[in-house]
Amino acid sequence: MLVCRHRLMILIHTLGLWKSTLANQSIISRVLLGLVAMIHGSSVYGEDHVRFATDVQPILSNHCYTCHGPDENTRESGLRLDQRSSALATAESGQTPIVPGDLQRSEVYQRITSDDDELRMPPSDPNHRLTSQEVNTLAQWIMEGAEYELHWAFTAPQKPEMPTVSESDWVQNPIDLFILKELQRLGRTPAIVANREALIRRVSFDLTGLPPTLDEIDTYLGDDRPNAYERMVDRYLHSPHYGEHLGRYWLDLARYADSNGYQYDTEREQWAWRDWVIHAYNSNLPFDEFTIQQIAGDLLPDSTDLERLATGFNRNHGITIEGGIIDEEYRTEYVMDRVVTTASVWLGMTIGCARCHDHKYDPISQKEFYELFALFNQVPERGMRGFAPQEKIPSPLENPEVISLKRELQILQRELTEPIDLTKQISKWAASLRRNRPLSWEIAAPAQLASSGGSTLTKLDDQSILISGKNPQQDIYTITAETASTNLRAIRLEALTHPSLPGGGPGRHSNSNFVLSEFELEAISILNPNNSRKIKFKSVVADYSQQGYEIGKTIDGQVSNNSGWAVDGPTRKKSATAIWVANEPFGYEGGTQLKFTLKHQANFATHGIGRPRLSITSDMRTRYEFTNIPKSILAKIEKPFEELAEKEQQELTAYFLEKHDPRADLRRQIENLQNKLNQLIPTTMVMAELSQPRTTHILERGQYDQPGAPVTAGVPECCSASTKMEIKNRLDFATWLTEPNHPLTARVAVNRHWRRLFGRGLVETAEDFGIQGDLPSHPELLDWLATDLISNGWDIKYLQRQIITSATYRQSSIVERESYEFDPDNQWLSRGPRFRLDGEQIRDSALSASGLLHTQLGGKSVFPYQPEGLWLELNNRPGYSKAYPQGTGEDLVRRSIYSFWKRTVPSPMLKTLDAPEREFCTIRRSRTNTPLQALLLLNGTQFMEASIFLGSRMMLEGEGDITQRIAFGFRLVTSRFPSEEELKILRQEYNASLQQTVDVKEDDPSLGLVIVKLRDLQLNPTQLRAYANVARIILNLDESITKS
Amino acid sequence: MQTLTLPHNLDRRRFLERTTRGLSSLALASLLNNQTDQALGDTVDGAANPANPLPHFAAKAKRVIYMLQSGAPSQVDLFDYKQTLKNLHLTELPDSVRQSQRLTGMTAGQKQFPIVQSPWKFNRHGQSGTRFSELLPQIGSVADDLCVIKSMHTEAINHDPAITFFQSGNQQPGRPSVGAWLSYGLGSETENLPAFVVLLNKNSFFQAQPLYDRLWGSGFLPSKYQGVKFRSTGDPVLYLKDPLNSSASIRRARLDRLSALNQIRSKTVGEPAIDSRIAQYEMAFRMQASVPELTNLNDEPESTFKLYGEDAKIPGSHAANCLLARRLAERGVRFIQIFHRGWDHHSNVKTHLPTLAKETDQGSAALIKDLKQRGMLEDTLVIWAGEFGRTVYSQGNPNTFGRDHHPRCFSIWMAGGGIKGGYSHGETDDFCYNIIQDPVHVHDFHATLLHCLGINHKQLTYRFQGRDYRLTDVHGKVVQDILA
Repeated sequence: MLVCRHRLMILIHTLGLWKSTLANQSIISRVLLGLVAMIHGSSVYGEDHVRFATDVQPILSNHCYTCHGPDENTRESGLRLDQRSSALATAESGQTPIVPGDLQRSEVYQRITSDDDELRMPPSDPNHRLTSQEVNTLAQWIMEGAEYELHWAFTAPQKPEMPTVSESDWVQNPIDLFILKELQRLGRTPAIVANREALIRRVSFDLTGLPPTLDEIDTYLGDDRPNAYERMVDRYLHSPHYGEHLGRYWLDLARYADSNGYQYDTEREQWAWRDWVIHAYNSNLPFDEFTIQQIAGDLLPDSTDLERLATGFNRNHGITIEGGIIDEEYRTEYVMDRVVTTASVWLGMTIGCARCHDHKYDPISQKEFYELFALFNQVPERGMRGFAPQEKIPSPLENPEVISLKRELQILQRELTEPIDLTKQISKWAASLRRNRPLSWEIAAPAQLASSGGSTLTKLDDQSILISGKNPQQDIYTITAETASTNLRAIRLEALTHPSLPGGGPGRHSNSNFVLSEFELEAISILNPNNSRKIKFKSVVADYSQQGYEIGKTIDGQVSNNSGWAVDGPTRKKSATAIWVANEPFGYEGGTQLKFTLKHQANFATHGIGRPRLSITSDMRTRYEFTNIPKSILAKIEKPFEELAEKEQQELTAYFLEKHDPRADLRRQIENLQNKLNQLIPTTMVMAELSQPRTTHILERGQYDQPGAPVTAGVPECCSASTKMEIKNRLDFATWLTEPNHPLTARVAVNRHWRRLFGRGLVETAEDFGIQGDLPSHPELLDWLATDLISNGWDIKYLQRQIITSATYRQSSIVERESYEFDPDNQWLSRGPRFRLDGEQIRDSALSASGLLHTQLGGKSVFPYQPEGLWLELNNRPGYSKAYPQGTGEDLVRRSIYSFWKRTVPSPMLKTLDAPEREFCTIRRSRTNTPLQALLLLNGTQFMEASIFLGSRMMLEGEGDITQRIAFGFRLVTSRFPSEEELKILRQEYNASLQQTVDVKEDDPSLGLVIVKLRDLQLNPTQLRAYANVARIILNLDESITKS
Repeated sequence: MQTLTLPHNLDRRRFLERTTRGLSSLALASLLNNQTDQALGDTVDGAANPANPLPHFAAKAKRVIYMLQSGAPSQVDLFDYKQTLKNLHLTELPDSVRQSQRLTGMTAGQKQFPIVQSPWKFNRHGQSGTRFSELLPQIGSVADDLCVIKSMHTEAINHDPAITFFQSGNQQPGRPSVGAWLSYGLGSETENLPAFVVLLNKNSFFQAQPLYDRLWGSGFLPSKYQGVKFRSTGDPVLYLKDPLNSSASIRRARLDRLSALNQIRSKTVGEPAIDSRIAQYEMAFRMQASVPELTNLNDEPESTFKLYGEDAKIPGSHAANCLLARRLAERGVRFIQIFHRGWDHHSNVKTHLPTLAKETDQGSAALIKDLKQRGMLEDTLVIWAGEFGRTVYSQGNPNTFGRDHHPRCFSIWMAGGGIKGGYSHGETDDFCYNIIQDPVHVHDFHATLLHCLGINHKQLTYRFQGRDYRLTDVHGKVVQDILA
């Protein structure tokens, strides 16, 4: 049909009748009318009908809808051309825009062909001038009745009938029928099947993002059974690298990053969600579940950890911490981001326009935008530092550290369940106690009691002293006691609690605290009271001290500045004990009177100790401890356990288990391990729903502070004609998306996979299936793939397999240049796909070919090589900035999906190779070709290092002479053997390198740090350099960075 | 300098035909990008409108040097002289002036808003008698070449959205930067350097606001249009240097072998993109010579350093960047943007502002003088601007005073290609708080910038997500009054 219309154009032009050559408009109209009539009467042009959806709507949408389309606010003259009823009705002007079959009376036609600049439509804007071909199309459409159609993408896909093609030997599966039909229409033939080396390389890159290993290639080349190709494809579909590779595309859509974006771009810990994606692809989670879990996993009944982890998708947007922002302003932006991203990814709709006004092209009103907004507006979150809600959920991909910790944990837990010989344990403990007896304290029975402030001091039965009565600002207790012991070495003070004290604590203040400013002791001989001395203490310990009020302050000779011992009475309300150790032993033969002075002289009022009890000991220890084994227990350890009465045994066992349970140690170890494991589990931002729903308003001009009418949740009518259901929350929404007759979800998804494999979507505008988007090149194929996916349970691996095993996919990309010139984009698929690999694939394949790649799955993001200073040169604000923490060892050579993604300074390696910043959802990366890419691949440390290692592989693993070793390296990278001519050139590089002297140190960081390991290989450095230079050329070949 | 080396077996005319297919004559992509995008699976569907070639009309400026003063310099203390503030000093800013406009979270909680006049004198300069703060004596000395716009205003009040807005016409990330629009629209005049170069100052000010790659990013335009950072430490352009320090002849020989292998492949496969790759490697090789030559200032006479100041010998200083900008301009770079950070003075304006003024004054003025003496000022558009202004009222203690963000009015200056010199545009009220005459919105600024380069801002568009995007969105008016 396109061809036919073209013929019409030619006809008009050859007749010299086009309006630019004629002044009189009515003549043109008449001529055109005649022409159209002529065409209609002619059987040659009988099939030449214009179709609204494919021919007319794109013109109207591009040139007219801005002022005469869905947006009510900018609609001019009340005319909308997107609806037939309006276009055919009498307009405000009294004219009729379109009169089917009558150009003369169709105002639209008159206006688009007017010579008058004032009247001609569209108004003077060179970008919107209609071409003569477009005018023709509109004219023909009006003449043919001006029929409208529903936009193709808003109707549910129907399984199309299989096309019939003439030669079908080529066909492998239904996909090929659709492709071949179009090729035959264009008079083209498919290309030959690519050779096996090319095929395995293509499949390996497409399913794992890595080049095939030589073993994989040789296995495939040697497989002469039927279905060798399918077997090879299946092997890659089951590779753990499949999930890494497919997941990587999803991360662009999900604007996944390891930093928060905006001003300070601080780090976030969202990698467990990234691991979820890899895991989901590897376990082939069907696309409907993949969708539901990510959009509404938290709302599923009894949701699992992994289902909630999946919802991290909608929390991957940037989050600001810039001082001075308004919370609601940014919270609104986060919700906007969710709506726009979700619509782009699942609906293929560019819905963002309707934030401020009705959509200009697609039938989506501003109200409908906010109905969708309402679904994503229910998160309990903030704008400023809006990281919550978060949840600690382990990554579904376990890293080695976690695995080894878990193993250790298992062993300990098993030990815990094993029976233990209690009798033996108790005997062991008793023996050690006997060897090392606990301190034996003698309680100093108080004799005289005095208070400087007039408090009442009362001796209790347990020899403690309860203070009551007057509660003076400051107080000094003087307590005496007598003892016959000599060689006294230490004093113990117990500050006990009592129900009569404030708060039942140890102190007299209403907050239960006390401050003991100084503690003093005088020893007086009873036989000769003139014989006395003040005891000096060499140390003091306490079982508890308040910060800033350590026990040492009771012997520093100071009472000012609140120097003294306190015990957090307000919060702790527990007894506390202190032990003072004398400088030298004391105690007089014939008895000693001990005079204790407890000074409470802090500026805090009424901070006296409430119930002191004093004890003394002659035991000498290097460390005085607070063990306090009851006498009754100590008595029981003197006899062997077996000899104790049963009751005594029970008591001793109970005490032992309470204090010295042998399992306690195990439990403590287990707890430590669990804490360690817990620290390895990241905290991921996930979705949650407010308990009280937030009311959503239409925001005037999209402004957070201009709420208009309230709206309730809903979905746009234009894409819900075939799927009517009530949508109250995200779960309903996700369910709606995955309804089998949803017009968009499956089409949009299969189109992205098609684009991934062929470099171009069946709908080239993969992000826009709306009216302004491109029409599908093969609409029936698109619908067949979509319906086939749905009827096969949304099985994504099945879809990959369908496409990859088609003859279309298996075509060679080595064809005549004429084919590239005829169809540069390969829209019609008359050859195999050929385009540059993505940055991640280029880096990963260099690592893989050089043998450097460390293939661990999942885990924290890593920091590969990067030129120095890139982070700090953009942000050096103390507290908000840091230098790039380049990794070491294996972290330098992980797959690129694990490279730390900082939004404001993305990896220069990936950025140079067209990776986006991930500040927002990216559906299509650009694919460019720049000198900066050449510099990166030639000189970047990562690639230099890979060259050196690839060179070393040629020396260590290659066999035969130099040329054969070079061929081995060439094959590692390109998956094929080089030709003689190619080898000759590479050999020249080798020879030339041998002659060169090099002005660089082996440990120069720009060569890569792992060079150290190379030294261990003990390779001849001159040869290694020569091989490395050869490797460098190989890695820079167009072929090496191209999927072909 | 080496000329474009073409693969010997390739007919030059055919080569050029192929490499420019897909690009219309109007959207001459910069040479960095001069290639077959379509063959690479990339789409070029934007400005390529054969009916409307670029430039849309005769351009006054061929290139732009844009000194972006990040953090927002104080118009109150530098450009917008207000005698009236003398009597208002330390009085409360009237509510009638503030009109309950939005403040940042940093001063919204302040109980008082005492006006603080500028502690610096404003002197008249040149025949125009334009006043500049005594902190900017050198800029004052080129007053007759400058057009000061005192009535700039913007929509954002915080750094991130405001600078993103200034750079891309939108507060949220995602749109192409001005430089990316220009290299997409106009391409490059050089075969040896990128079309859009970014120079960063080596910053030491502790409160400097961070910058982000998006400020020179390509947004939804193909990523080849993004700015290329020329760094003051390490390789001036990332990965420029051969880690093995091979001589040019060794690199040449290696590249010849690489090209020969790629040509073999090109013959086998038949795809034109391979030829384009060969050309990019050639340009990379040329850059390895042209960039060090460019950044090596040894060939500058002593008079240059008299003009720009001794600072110009310190890589990463504003003066050095200004000098580098002139050298880039001489070599045909289309859009050069200098980022100077450190203007965000929420406290101690008295200490910080003189430092920043001194860092930038001489270099900025020298650039104007230098371009003029070389006859380049007339076709180079020079811009000096921050992302918003600062409040006339004090943040914190009025004695040591700070100034908060102020989007309602601020001053920038432009000079050269197409701009009226010795002219001040727009006026603010007695409080230096609101605009009372000739407001210029950021979109208007963008429209005017494009106009100077011969571009109708409504017609430089790129189709993305079904919509024809513009730098100026659906807004923007060319400020006719400031055009020469």
